[in-house]
Amino acid sequence: MTPAGSLLAAHDLHKAYGPTHALDGAGFSIHPGEIVAVMGPSGSGKSTLLHCLAGIVTPDSGSITYNGLEMATMNDSRRSALRRSEFGFVFQFGQLVPELTCVENVALPLRLNGTSRKEAERTALTWMERLEVDDLAAKRPGEVSGGQGQRVAVARSLVTGPRVLFADEPTGALDSLNGERVMELLTDAARSTNAAVVLVTHETRVAAYSDREVVVRDGRSRDMERVV
Amino acid sequence: MTARQWSRDLAMGTKFAFTGGREGWIRVLLTGVGVGLGVALLLLTTAIPSAMQARSDREYSRTDLRMSSEVIPKADNTVLVGNVGSDFRGQDVRGRELEPEGLRAPLPPGLSEFPAPGEMFVSPALRKLLDSPDGKLLRERIPYRDTGTIGSIGLIGPAELAFYAGTDGLAARIGDSPVNRLDTFQGVDAPSEEMDPVLLLLVLVVFVVLLMPVGVFIAAAVRFGGERRDRRLAALRLVGADGRMTRRIAAGEALAGALLGLLFGTVFFLLGRQIAGTVELFGISVFPSYLDPTPALAALIALAVPAAAVAVTLFALRGVVIEPLGVVRTARPARRRLWWRLLLPLGGLALLAPMIGKGSENGDFNAYMVTGGVVLLLVGVTALLPWVVEAVVARLNSGPVSWQLAVRRLQLSSGTAARMVNGIAVAVAGAIAMQMLFAGVESDYTRATGQDVSRAQMEVTVPARIPLAKAAEELGATPGVRGTTAISSGTLGERRTDPERTATVTVGDCDALREVARLSSCRDGDVFAVRHAEYDTDTARLAKARTLYLDPGYSDSEKGAEVAWTVPRDLRKADTREDPTGWERGGFLITPGALPAKAAPAVTGLVYLRLDPSAPDAREHVLNIAARMDPYTQPMFYAASEQSGRFTSIRTGLFVGAACVLALIGASLLVSQLEQLRERRKLLSALVAFGTRRRTLSLSVLWQTAIPVALGLLLASAVGLTLGAVLLKMTGTSVAVDWPGVLSMAGIGAAVVLAVTALSVPPLLRLMRPDGLRTE
Repeated sequence: MTPAGSLLAAHDLHKAYGPTHALDGAGFSIHPGEIVAVMGPSGSGKSTLLHCLAGIVTPDSGSITYNGLEMATMNDSRRSALRRSEFGFVFQFGQLVPELTCVENVALPLRLNGTSRKEAERTALTWMERLEVDDLAAKRPGEVSGGQGQRVAVARSLVTGPRVLFADEPTGALDSLNGERVMELLTDAARSTNAAVVLVTHETRVAAYSDREVVVRDGRSRDMERVV
Repeated sequence: MTARQWSRDLAMGTKFAFTGGREGWIRVLLTGVGVGLGVALLLLTTAIPSAMQARSDREYSRTDLRMSSEVIPKADNTVLVGNVGSDFRGQDVRGRELEPEGLRAPLPPGLSEFPAPGEMFVSPALRKLLDSPDGKLLRERIPYRDTGTIGSIGLIGPAELAFYAGTDGLAARIGDSPVNRLDTFQGVDAPSEEMDPVLLLLVLVVFVVLLMPVGVFIAAAVRFGGERRDRRLAALRLVGADGRMTRRIAAGEALAGALLGLLFGTVFFLLGRQIAGTVELFGISVFPSYLDPTPALAALIALAVPAAAVAVTLFALRGVVIEPLGVVRTARPARRRLWWRLLLPLGGLALLAPMIGKGSENGDFNAYMVTGGVVLLLVGVTALLPWVVEAVVARLNSGPVSWQLAVRRLQLSSGTAARMVNGIAVAVAGAIAMQMLFAGVESDYTRATGQDVSRAQMEVTVPARIPLAKAAEELGATPGVRGTTAISSGTLGERRTDPERTATVTVGDCDALREVARLSSCRDGDVFAVRHAEYDTDTARLAKARTLYLDPGYSDSEKGAEVAWTVPRDLRKADTREDPTGWERGGFLITPGALPAKAAPAVTGLVYLRLDPSAPDAREHVLNIAARMDPYTQPMFYAASEQSGRFTSIRTGLFVGAACVLALIGASLLVSQLEQLRERRKLLSALVAFGTRRRTLSLSVLWQTAIPVALGLLLASAVGLTLGAVLLKMTGTSVAVDWPGVLSMAGIGAAVVLAVTALSVPPLLRLMRPDGLRTE
């Protein structure tokens, strides 16, 4: 059952990798502009839930709807197109393409959507300015620090104006100061574009940036009551 | 720095190579397989001289030719051997009839007893062929019953087609057929022949050209998995290892790969040796036991490969700073310098230059200078290519995403890309040079036979007991035969015995005689004396005689037919013309009506055959008919030219070697490509996660390979053409570029790379699965 008004919702998801049940009846929903933290210990199934929600991994059973459309009915190229245009991603280690400069990395999703190189890099630069990394435009990922790289990755995730941003341990590889700065910039940028954020983390400090928390344990999820 | 420190660090590196978990094992296995392939090919190369020697020894041990024309007397220890060998679809069929003359008659090697008359012992390959539907045609000319197998000791290779058949009555054929009486099968020593300096040059260059890419490949293989290793080394720096220690530990890891490679190489070689026994390349097959590497060379490989692995690793790490927090190579590396890279090919040219023109003076080439010069020129390709790739890709820019990803990747690590194509570039450069050299000197080793293949493609000698007309009719009715010309030839002398003057006599109808002379008019009963033939001084004088004798006898040899023939008064004149074999015959031409009937045994019949080129087995049908007439008839195939056996062998060697080297390089490229993809697995998955099309990534992999390959082939063509031109100048031959050869070599190189790229697409698609994002 899809909660009313939700942009992305999942119900009774099951996913196994061999004998390991990564998801065992998990559910999830998120509304436009909402930031939801998915928490849980290592190996609990958080990343698998994120991958299923993003259409990267197909669940063994259960349903995922995006904007009222059942994702199971979409083929691989349709799901890829969805990820290109509607979703954005930030991974723990940035996963920037090492041979491209930072501005080229940020411009990459736009170029994949067919935007001209010049236009894509112009848009990319505005996002890099917002994330305070415009001075790194011509540098390669190997020449910048971890925190700077992660901010470049956030800029890349937002450059297409996604409706949902998936962030998998975005501060996992950063010190607390850098981590906080990245989270501030990420959440501010997401709120300014009304993008929903699915934030996978095991750090309560990071989860504090969210509107709501969902805990995943042994492949099952449940909403957390937040103590204010 | 002590030896102890060195050995401790090398040992630690070796340990790391094997204890890196699954990833570590995969990397060391890839290196091992890569080095192993190279080692196997090197071992094979060291085994080739002994294999060729073994073939030659076996051939010698079954020789049944006698250098002397004197026939040894029949004895208890003699055997009669007749050559009934043939040819089947271009493959030699070695056939012998045997008739022991006493209890102590020597057995040819490979036989345990003599086959009884009408029976035969066959080689396994011939039995397989005869038992197959393909062998049905051949069976017609080998009518003996198969009762035994020739042991491998009697064969020069497992694919040799051979048989020994038992017979009787051979004694009667001694003299007029390839039949010999032997008391041993130990052959006579062939006169040793000095190898022509140009052929020696060819052999040297072929070896260098074939082995260089293997060396380059081994150097590339020990650098597999470099990126991951660098991260591990950084971790070691973090716990206190200094820069030198990390280099030695890295060398130790390479050493482990090389040692595993030696092991794999030995296993591959042993497997390959077994497989070699089942295949035939360019008409050469060898028994596994022939492939026995020369111990000294095998030991050299065992020492050189690990040493080279350590040296290459230390050399590769010279520009890399391993810091505790990472490897400073991900930043843009220092620009490559051109000057020292140019020194290598220039040094090669300097070594070769003093030998220019020596071939025309029949002088000797200095083997060390030739080898050194060619090695430096080809190593120059490997040194120049990274510079060329870097310089060119730095200037490449805009394009679609796939192009941008590829170009940027090449800009960041052009060295890796250049290393990947180095092997193929060296192979192509060497092959182009060899192609030019072979094409240039080919005419020196190719002799025109003078045979006119437009007039006839075969000839069959007809035994005296069979009427020539009947034989010609039978041969003419053979499938695939378009026409026949039958003539008989013999000798005329002015005396019945021991004539001082002789001339050739040719008997045939008017059409047949027109094949050997220009006749203004002709009808049956005419006789002609031929004018202006080369080396014919006696015909004019003999034409004035009253009576001449066909097949005159000689007192020191057997008696001839000695048939008297009256020279007709109306003897006509004819001008000579080359017959289909290119011979300008003189003497007398006689139409059948002018030849006495009793003269028939005094001449030998011959049929020229014109074959239908579209009938594939016409030759085989003719051979069958000929063998039915007489198994000792030896039909001849005409060819416009024939090549020196040694030249052909060297060329064949080059083709066999080049096929092996290209296969090796293809395999190495694939291994290297897969290894690179594996290292980028996570990134590929991330790119797919945010919606990158698989086609875009596949295209980017293609560009990433195609750009350095195109540059590599261009450089290889330039170096190959230069080397080819210098080698041709050394042999004193005018320089001409064999463009089709250059293009085909470059095309083969490009095809290997394209095939490898195509083969790497399925694993690429697998690696692009989102599962790559999983860390737990």
